[in-house]
Amino acid sequence: MKKRQIFLFIFSSIFSLSFSYSQSENVLSDSLIDKNKIFNISKLRFGLDLSNPINSSSKNDKFSYEIVADLQLTDNFYLATEFGSIDKVIEDENIDFNSVGDYIKIGFDYNMFNNWVGMDNSIYIGLRYAFSDFSNKVLGYTVRNSDSYFSNFVNTNFENVNHNNLNGSWIEIVTGIKVETFNNIYLGISLRLNKLLSTKSPENFDNLFIPGFNKVTDDNTWGSGFNYTLTYSIPIGKKR
Amino acid sequence: MVYINILILTILNLMIKRYNVILFLVFLIFAACEKDDICIEGSDNTKRISIEFIDYINRQPKSIDLDSIRSVEVDSILEGISGTNLKLPLMVNTNKTKYLLEYNKTIDTLVIFHQTIHKYLNRSCGYIANFIIKSDTEISKNSGWIKEVSIENDSIFNEEKTNIFIHF
Repeated sequence: MKKRQIFLFIFSSIFSLSFSYSQSENVLSDSLIDKNKIFNISKLRFGLDLSNPINSSSKNDKFSYEIVADLQLTDNFYLATEFGSIDKVIEDENIDFNSVGDYIKIGFDYNMFNNWVGMDNSIYIGLRYAFSDFSNKVLGYTVRNSDSYFSNFVNTNFENVNHNNLNGSWIEIVTGIKVETFNNIYLGISLRLNKLLSTKSPENFDNLFIPGFNKVTDDNTWGSGFNYTLTYSIPIGKKR
Repeated sequence: MVYINILILTILNLMIKRYNVILFLVFLIFAACEKDDICIEGSDNTKRISIEFIDYINRQPKSIDLDSIRSVEVDSILEGISGTNLKLPLMVNTNKTKYLLEYNKTIDTLVIFHQTIHKYLNRSCGYIANFIIKSDTEISKNSGWIKEVSIENDSIFNEEKTNIFIHF
Protein backbone atom coordinates (compact mmCIF):
# COMPACT_ATOMS: atom_id res chain seq x y z
CA MET A 1 0.00 0.00 0.00
CA LYS A 2 2.78 2.39 0.96
CA LYS A 3 4.73 1.54 -2.16
CA ARG A 4 1.85 2.42 -4.37
CA GLN A 5 1.34 5.75 -2.72
CA ILE A 6 4.96 6.67 -3.14
CA PHE A 7 4.95 5.67 -6.78
CA LEU A 8 1.88 7.79 -7.29
CA PHE A 9 3.53 10.71 -5.56
CA ILE A 10 6.66 10.54 -7.71
CA PHE A 11 4.85 10.10 -10.96
CA SER A 12 2.22 12.70 -10.23
CA SER A 13 4.90 15.19 -9.28
CA ILE A 14 6.76 14.51 -12.52
CA PHE A 15 3.65 14.65 -14.63
CA SER A 16 2.19 17.71 -12.94
CA LEU A 17 5.48 19.40 -13.60
CA SER A 18 5.50 18.56 -17.29
CA PHE A 19 1.85 19.49 -17.48
CA SER A 20 2.44 22.91 -15.99
CA TYR A 21 5.23 23.42 -18.48
CA SER A 22 3.07 22.47 -21.43
CA GLN A 23 0.38 24.83 -20.20
CA SER A 24 2.73 27.77 -19.99
CA GLU A 25 3.97 26.86 -23.44
CA ASN A 26 0.51 27.38 -24.87
CA VAL A 27 0.14 30.72 -23.22
CA LEU A 28 3.57 32.09 -23.87
CA SER A 29 4.38 31.10 -27.40
CA ASP A 30 3.44 29.03 -30.39
CA SER A 31 6.75 28.78 -32.17
CA LEU A 32 8.62 25.49 -32.46
CA ILE A 33 11.93 26.84 -31.22
CA ASP A 34 10.48 28.06 -27.97
CA LYS A 35 8.68 24.79 -27.47
CA ASN A 36 11.97 22.95 -27.60
CA LYS A 37 13.38 25.24 -24.98
CA ILE A 38 10.54 24.64 -22.56
CA PHE A 39 9.95 20.94 -22.96
CA ASN A 40 13.33 19.70 -23.98
CA ILE A 41 13.47 15.93 -24.43
CA SER A 42 16.82 15.79 -26.12
CA LYS A 43 18.84 13.31 -24.18
CA LEU A 44 18.56 9.67 -23.21
CA ARG A 45 21.53 8.40 -21.27
CA PHE A 46 22.49 4.81 -20.53
CA GLY A 47 25.32 3.82 -18.33
CA LEU A 48 27.01 1.35 -16.04
CA ASP A 49 28.17 1.64 -12.48
CA LEU A 50 31.90 1.00 -12.28
CA SER A 51 32.27 0.52 -8.53
CA ASN A 52 30.20 -2.65 -8.26
CA PRO A 53 32.05 -4.82 -10.82
CA ILE A 54 35.42 -3.64 -9.51
CA ASN A 55 34.38 -4.38 -5.94
CA SER A 56 32.94 -7.80 -6.73
CA SER A 57 35.92 -8.94 -8.79
CA SER A 58 38.48 -7.76 -6.24
CA LYS A 59 36.72 -9.68 -3.46
CA ASN A 60 36.24 -12.86 -5.51
CA ASP A 61 32.48 -12.45 -5.33
CA LYS A 62 30.18 -13.30 -8.18
CA PHE A 63 29.51 -10.58 -10.74
CA SER A 64 27.46 -7.63 -9.51
CA TYR A 65 26.34 -4.77 -11.69
CA GLU A 66 24.16 -1.68 -11.85
CA ILE A 67 22.68 -0.16 -15.01
CA VAL A 68 21.70 3.49 -14.90
CA ALA A 69 19.53 5.50 -17.27
CA ASP A 70 18.07 8.96 -17.38
CA LEU A 71 15.81 10.85 -19.73
CA GLN A 72 15.86 14.61 -19.99
CA LEU A 73 12.34 16.00 -19.60
CA THR A 74 12.96 19.72 -19.38
CA ASP A 75 16.08 21.84 -19.26
CA ASN A 76 16.91 20.76 -15.76
CA PHE A 77 14.61 17.86 -14.95
CA TYR A 78 15.52 14.26 -15.64
CA LEU A 79 13.58 11.08 -15.15
CA ALA A 80 16.15 8.71 -13.67
CA THR A 81 16.32 5.01 -12.96
CA GLU A 82 18.80 2.39 -11.79
CA PHE A 83 18.63 -1.36 -11.98
CA GLY A 84 21.09 -3.58 -10.21
CA SER A 85 21.92 -7.16 -9.39
CA ILE A 86 24.06 -8.05 -6.40
CA ASP A 87 25.68 -11.30 -5.29
CA LYS A 88 27.90 -10.52 -2.37
CA VAL A 89 29.43 -12.29 0.63
CA ILE A 90 29.31 -10.08 3.71
CA GLU A 91 31.63 -10.85 6.59
CA ASP A 92 30.08 -9.16 9.55
CA GLU A 93 31.43 -9.16 13.08
CA ASN A 94 29.49 -12.26 14.18
CA ILE A 95 27.78 -13.54 11.06
CA ASP A 96 28.97 -14.27 7.52
CA PHE A 97 26.24 -14.38 4.91
CA ASN A 98 25.69 -14.27 1.18
CA SER A 99 23.26 -11.65 -0.08
CA VAL A 100 21.77 -12.22 -3.53
CA GLY A 101 19.15 -10.00 -5.11
CA ASP A 102 17.96 -7.44 -7.63
CA TYR A 103 16.79 -3.91 -7.11
CA ILE A 104 15.17 -1.13 -9.07
CA LYS A 105 15.19 2.57 -8.31
CA ILE A 106 13.06 5.16 -10.04
CA GLY A 107 12.73 8.89 -9.57
CA PHE A 108 14.06 12.16 -10.88
CA ASP A 109 17.13 14.39 -10.87
CA TYR A 110 17.20 18.15 -10.86
CA ASN A 111 20.25 19.88 -12.30
CA MET A 112 21.40 22.94 -10.37
CA PHE A 113 24.40 23.86 -12.44
CA ASN A 114 24.41 26.56 -15.12
CA ASN A 115 26.64 25.41 -17.93
CA TRP A 116 28.81 27.60 -20.05
CA VAL A 117 27.91 27.58 -23.71
CA GLY A 118 28.77 24.27 -25.35
CA MET A 119 29.21 22.37 -22.12
CA ASP A 120 26.96 19.78 -20.65
CA ASN A 121 27.88 19.07 -17.06
CA SER A 122 25.56 18.79 -14.15
CA ILE A 123 25.46 18.98 -10.40
CA TYR A 124 22.18 17.55 -9.35
CA ILE A 125 19.98 16.53 -6.50
CA GLY A 126 17.33 13.88 -6.85
CA LEU A 127 14.87 11.56 -5.26
CA ARG A 128 14.29 7.84 -5.83
CA TYR A 129 11.84 5.22 -4.78
CA ALA A 130 13.57 1.85 -4.63
CA PHE A 131 12.53 -1.75 -4.22
CA SER A 132 14.58 -4.90 -3.77
CA ASP A 133 13.85 -8.64 -3.85
CA PHE A 134 16.59 -10.72 -2.33
CA SER A 135 17.73 -13.67 -0.26
CA ASN A 136 20.27 -13.84 2.55
CA LYS A 137 22.06 -17.13 3.14
CA VAL A 138 23.82 -17.57 6.47
CA LEU A 139 27.22 -19.19 5.86
CA GLY A 140 28.66 -19.21 9.36
CA TYR A 141 28.46 -17.44 12.66
CA THR A 142 29.98 -17.22 16.09
CA VAL A 143 27.58 -17.90 18.94
CA ARG A 144 27.76 -15.31 21.70
CA ASN A 145 29.19 -17.12 24.70
CA SER A 146 31.15 -15.82 27.67
CA ASP A 147 32.83 -19.23 27.84
CA SER A 148 35.35 -20.03 25.13
CA TYR A 149 36.40 -23.52 26.20
CA PHE A 150 34.78 -24.98 23.09
CA SER A 151 34.74 -23.37 19.67
CA ASN A 152 31.65 -21.21 19.31
CA PHE A 153 31.80 -21.13 15.53
CA VAL A 154 28.94 -22.78 13.63
CA ASN A 155 29.17 -23.41 9.90
CA THR A 156 26.95 -26.43 9.37
CA ASN A 157 23.36 -27.22 10.35
CA PHE A 158 21.50 -25.04 12.86
CA GLU A 159 20.84 -21.55 11.51
CA ASN A 160 22.98 -21.90 8.39
CA VAL A 161 19.98 -21.66 6.11
CA ASN A 162 18.95 -19.69 3.08
CA HIS A 163 16.34 -17.07 3.93
CA ASN A 164 14.34 -16.62 0.73
CA ASN A 165 11.65 -14.22 -0.47
CA LEU A 166 12.83 -11.17 1.41
CA ASN A 167 12.18 -7.66 0.24
CA GLY A 168 12.62 -4.05 1.17
CA SER A 169 11.62 -0.64 -0.09
CA TRP A 170 13.18 2.69 0.60
CA ILE A 171 13.54 6.34 -0.47
CA GLU A 172 16.86 7.77 -1.60
CA ILE A 173 18.00 11.35 -1.53
CA VAL A 174 20.63 11.67 -4.24
CA THR A 175 23.29 14.24 -4.88
CA GLY A 176 25.88 13.93 -7.59
CA ILE A 177 27.93 15.28 -10.45
CA LYS A 178 28.05 14.30 -14.12
CA VAL A 179 30.85 15.60 -16.30
CA GLU A 180 31.00 15.24 -20.09
CA THR A 181 34.51 13.95 -20.56
CA PHE A 182 34.27 13.07 -24.24
CA ASN A 183 31.58 13.84 -26.73
CA ASN A 184 28.41 12.18 -25.40
CA ILE A 185 30.31 10.25 -22.73
CA TYR A 186 29.85 11.22 -19.11
CA LEU A 187 31.59 10.31 -15.90
CA GLY A 188 29.50 10.66 -12.81
CA ILE A 189 29.56 10.12 -9.10
CA SER A 190 26.59 10.19 -6.80
CA LEU A 191 26.04 9.87 -3.07
CA ARG A 192 22.84 8.51 -1.64
CA LEU A 193 21.15 8.82 1.69
CA ASN A 194 18.61 6.03 2.14
CA LYS A 195 15.58 5.87 4.38
CA LEU A 196 14.11 2.41 4.75
CA LEU A 197 10.32 2.37 4.49
CA SER A 198 9.44 -1.28 4.85
CA THR A 199 11.19 -4.60 4.88
CA LYS A 200 10.24 -8.24 5.15
CA SER A 201 12.58 -9.91 7.62
CA PRO A 202 13.15 -13.65 8.02
CA GLU A 203 12.45 -15.62 11.16
CA ASN A 204 15.27 -15.82 13.67
CA PHE A 205 17.49 -13.55 11.57
CA ASP A 206 17.35 -9.98 10.33
CA ASN A 207 18.03 -8.14 7.10
CA LEU A 208 21.54 -6.92 7.77
CA PHE A 209 22.11 -6.11 4.13
CA ILE A 210 19.67 -5.20 1.39
CA PRO A 211 20.99 -5.09 -2.20
CA GLY A 212 20.86 -1.46 -3.33
CA PHE A 213 20.26 -0.16 0.16
CA ASN A 214 23.50 -1.63 1.57
CA LYS A 215 24.16 -2.08 5.28
CA VAL A 216 21.25 -1.96 7.68
CA THR A 217 22.24 -1.14 11.25
CA ASP A 218 20.46 -2.05 14.50
CA ASP A 219 17.37 0.02 15.35
CA ASN A 220 18.09 2.39 12.50
CA THR A 221 16.29 2.91 9.20
CA TRP A 222 18.97 5.09 7.59
CA GLY A 223 21.59 3.88 5.16
CA SER A 224 23.96 5.23 2.57
CA GLY A 225 25.39 4.36 -0.80
CA PHE A 226 27.25 5.69 -3.77
CA ASN A 227 27.92 4.90 -7.38
CA TYR A 228 30.50 5.81 -9.95
CA THR A 229 29.07 5.75 -13.42
CA LEU A 230 30.12 5.84 -17.03
CA THR A 231 27.21 6.85 -19.26
CA TYR A 232 26.64 7.30 -22.94
CA SER A 233 24.14 9.83 -24.21
CA ILE A 234 21.92 8.96 -27.16
CA PRO A 235 20.86 12.23 -28.78
CA ILE A 236 17.15 11.89 -29.54
CA GLY A 237 16.31 15.51 -30.16
CA LYS A 238 18.11 18.50 -31.54
CA LYS A 239 21.28 19.09 -29.65
CA ARG A 240 21.59 22.62 -28.42
CA MET B 1 42.99 18.13 -16.89
CA VAL B 2 40.34 20.46 -18.22
CA TYR B 3 37.66 18.39 -16.59
CA ILE B 4 39.30 18.38 -13.19
CA ASN B 5 39.43 22.16 -13.46
CA ILE B 6 35.76 22.20 -14.33
CA LEU B 7 35.00 20.05 -11.31
CA ILE B 8 36.95 22.30 -8.97
CA LEU B 9 35.32 25.37 -10.46
CA THR B 10 31.86 23.94 -10.13
CA ILE B 11 32.41 22.93 -6.53
CA LEU B 12 33.81 26.38 -5.75
CA ASN B 13 30.88 27.92 -7.54
CA LEU B 14 28.58 25.91 -5.34
CA MET B 15 30.32 26.85 -2.17
CA ILE B 16 30.01 30.51 -3.05
CA LYS B 17 26.40 30.19 -4.00
CA ARG B 18 25.69 27.84 -1.07
CA TYR B 19 23.36 25.85 -3.21
CA ASN B 20 23.65 22.33 -1.90
CA VAL B 21 26.90 22.48 -0.06
CA ILE B 22 24.94 21.76 3.09
CA LEU B 23 23.68 18.54 1.53
CA PHE B 24 27.23 17.53 0.70
CA LEU B 25 28.26 18.20 4.27
CA VAL B 26 25.38 16.09 5.56
CA PHE B 27 26.55 13.23 3.38
CA LEU B 28 30.11 13.59 4.53
CA ILE B 29 28.97 13.46 8.15
CA PHE B 30 26.90 10.37 7.46
CA ALA B 31 29.78 8.68 5.68
CA ALA B 32 32.18 9.50 8.51
CA CYS B 33 29.91 8.70 11.43
CA GLU B 34 28.62 5.26 10.55
CA LYS B 35 27.15 3.78 13.67
CA ASP B 36 29.31 1.24 15.46
CA ASP B 37 27.44 -1.83 16.55
CA ILE B 38 28.64 -2.94 19.96
CA CYS B 39 26.87 -5.67 21.88
CA ILE B 40 25.71 -4.23 25.18
CA GLU B 41 27.28 -5.88 28.24
CA GLY B 42 24.02 -6.98 29.85
CA SER B 43 22.62 -8.62 26.72
CA ASP B 44 21.37 -12.20 26.80
CA ASN B 45 24.16 -14.75 26.69
CA THR B 46 24.71 -18.48 26.28
CA LYS B 47 24.27 -20.28 29.60
CA ARG B 48 26.28 -23.11 31.12
CA ILE B 49 24.87 -26.30 32.56
CA SER B 50 24.56 -26.35 36.34
CA ILE B 51 25.53 -29.61 38.05
CA GLU B 52 25.04 -30.43 41.72
CA PHE B 53 26.70 -33.32 43.55
CA ILE B 54 24.54 -35.26 46.01
CA ASP B 55 25.04 -38.24 48.25
CA TYR B 56 23.83 -41.50 46.74
CA ILE B 57 22.29 -42.77 49.97
CA ASN B 58 20.72 -39.82 51.79
CA ARG B 59 20.26 -37.59 48.66
CA GLN B 60 21.71 -34.53 50.35
CA PRO B 61 24.21 -32.14 48.71
CA LYS B 62 27.68 -33.44 49.32
CA SER B 63 30.94 -31.61 48.75
CA ILE B 64 33.39 -33.12 46.30
CA ASP B 65 37.05 -32.59 45.42
CA LEU B 66 37.50 -33.43 41.75
CA ASP B 67 41.02 -33.95 40.46
CA SER B 68 40.32 -32.70 36.96
CA ILE B 69 37.62 -32.05 34.40
CA ARG B 70 38.15 -32.01 30.70
CA SER B 71 36.12 -32.65 27.60
CA VAL B 72 36.83 -35.39 25.09
CA GLU B 73 37.12 -32.87 22.22
CA VAL B 74 39.42 -30.32 23.85
CA ASP B 75 42.83 -31.13 25.26
CA SER B 76 43.06 -28.39 27.85
CA ILE B 77 42.00 -29.25 31.37
CA LEU B 78 39.40 -27.26 33.26
CA GLU B 79 40.55 -26.62 36.80
CA GLY B 80 39.65 -29.16 39.43
CA ILE B 81 36.86 -28.01 41.66
CA SER B 82 35.78 -28.45 45.21
CA GLY B 83 32.28 -27.79 46.50
CA THR B 84 28.82 -29.02 45.71
CA ASN B 85 28.17 -27.06 42.48
CA LEU B 86 29.77 -27.17 39.08
CA LYS B 87 29.02 -25.12 35.98
CA LEU B 88 30.18 -26.43 32.64
CA PRO B 89 29.87 -25.01 29.12
CA LEU B 90 28.10 -27.10 26.49
CA MET B 91 29.09 -27.37 22.85
CA VAL B 92 27.03 -24.94 20.78
CA ASN B 93 27.64 -26.58 17.40
CA THR B 94 26.54 -30.13 18.21
CA ASN B 95 23.92 -31.99 20.27
CA LYS B 96 26.23 -33.94 22.52
CA THR B 97 28.88 -32.88 25.04
CA LYS B 98 31.21 -35.37 26.74
CA TYR B 99 33.14 -34.65 29.91
CA LEU B 100 35.76 -36.71 31.68
CA LEU B 101 35.43 -36.33 35.44
CA GLU B 102 38.38 -37.51 37.48
CA TYR B 103 37.88 -38.30 41.17
CA ASN B 104 40.23 -40.30 43.37
CA LYS B 105 42.35 -41.14 40.30
CA THR B 106 39.42 -42.78 38.51
CA ILE B 107 37.75 -41.25 35.44
CA ASP B 108 34.07 -41.39 34.57
CA THR B 109 32.60 -40.09 31.34
CA LEU B 110 29.55 -37.90 31.57
CA VAL B 111 27.65 -37.76 28.27
CA ILE B 112 25.15 -34.90 28.07
CA PHE B 113 22.69 -35.09 25.22
CA HIS B 114 21.05 -31.77 24.53
CA GLN B 115 18.91 -30.07 21.98
CA THR B 116 20.69 -26.90 20.84
CA ILE B 117 18.63 -23.96 19.63
CA HIS B 118 20.22 -20.80 18.30
CA LYS B 119 18.32 -17.62 18.89
CA TYR B 120 19.07 -14.44 16.96
CA LEU B 121 19.41 -11.28 19.04
CA ASN B 122 20.69 -8.51 16.77
CA ARG B 123 23.58 -7.57 14.48
CA SER B 124 25.99 -6.64 17.25
CA CYS B 125 25.33 -9.65 19.50
CA GLY B 126 24.57 -12.24 16.83
CA TYR B 127 23.17 -15.56 18.00
CA ILE B 128 23.06 -17.14 21.44
CA ALA B 129 22.49 -20.82 22.21
CA ASN B 130 19.67 -22.24 24.32
CA PHE B 131 19.80 -25.85 25.48
CA ILE B 132 17.28 -28.47 26.48
CA ILE B 133 18.79 -31.49 28.18
CA LYS B 134 17.53 -34.82 26.87
CA SER B 135 16.63 -37.73 29.09
CA ASP B 136 19.28 -40.06 27.62
CA THR B 137 22.02 -38.09 29.37
CA GLU B 138 24.14 -40.73 31.04
CA ILE B 139 27.36 -41.90 32.57
CA SER B 140 29.34 -44.35 30.57
CA LYS B 141 30.77 -46.41 33.40
CA ASN B 142 34.43 -47.12 33.17
CA SER B 143 35.29 -47.50 36.79
CA GLY B 144 32.21 -46.14 38.40
CA TRP B 145 32.58 -43.58 41.11
CA ILE B 146 29.36 -42.02 39.87
CA LYS B 147 26.35 -44.07 40.82
CA GLU B 148 23.57 -42.24 39.05
CA VAL B 149 22.67 -39.15 37.05
CA SER B 150 19.25 -37.54 37.30
CA ILE B 151 17.77 -34.55 35.48
CA GLU B 152 16.20 -31.85 37.61
CA ASN B 153 15.54 -29.04 35.10
CA ASP B 154 15.84 -29.89 31.44
CA SER B 155 15.92 -26.35 30.05
CA ILE B 156 18.92 -24.14 30.66
CA PHE B 157 17.70 -20.57 30.88
CA ASN B 158 19.64 -19.37 33.87
CA GLU B 159 22.64 -20.56 35.82
CA GLU B 160 20.97 -20.45 39.23
CA LYS B 161 18.82 -23.54 39.01
CA THR B 162 20.43 -26.97 39.09
CA ASN B 163 19.97 -28.88 35.86
CA ILE B 164 21.36 -32.29 36.74
CA PHE B 165 22.28 -34.15 39.91
CA ILE B 166 25.26 -36.45 40.10
CA HIS B 167 24.85 -39.12 42.76
CA PHE B 168 28.02 -40.56 44.25
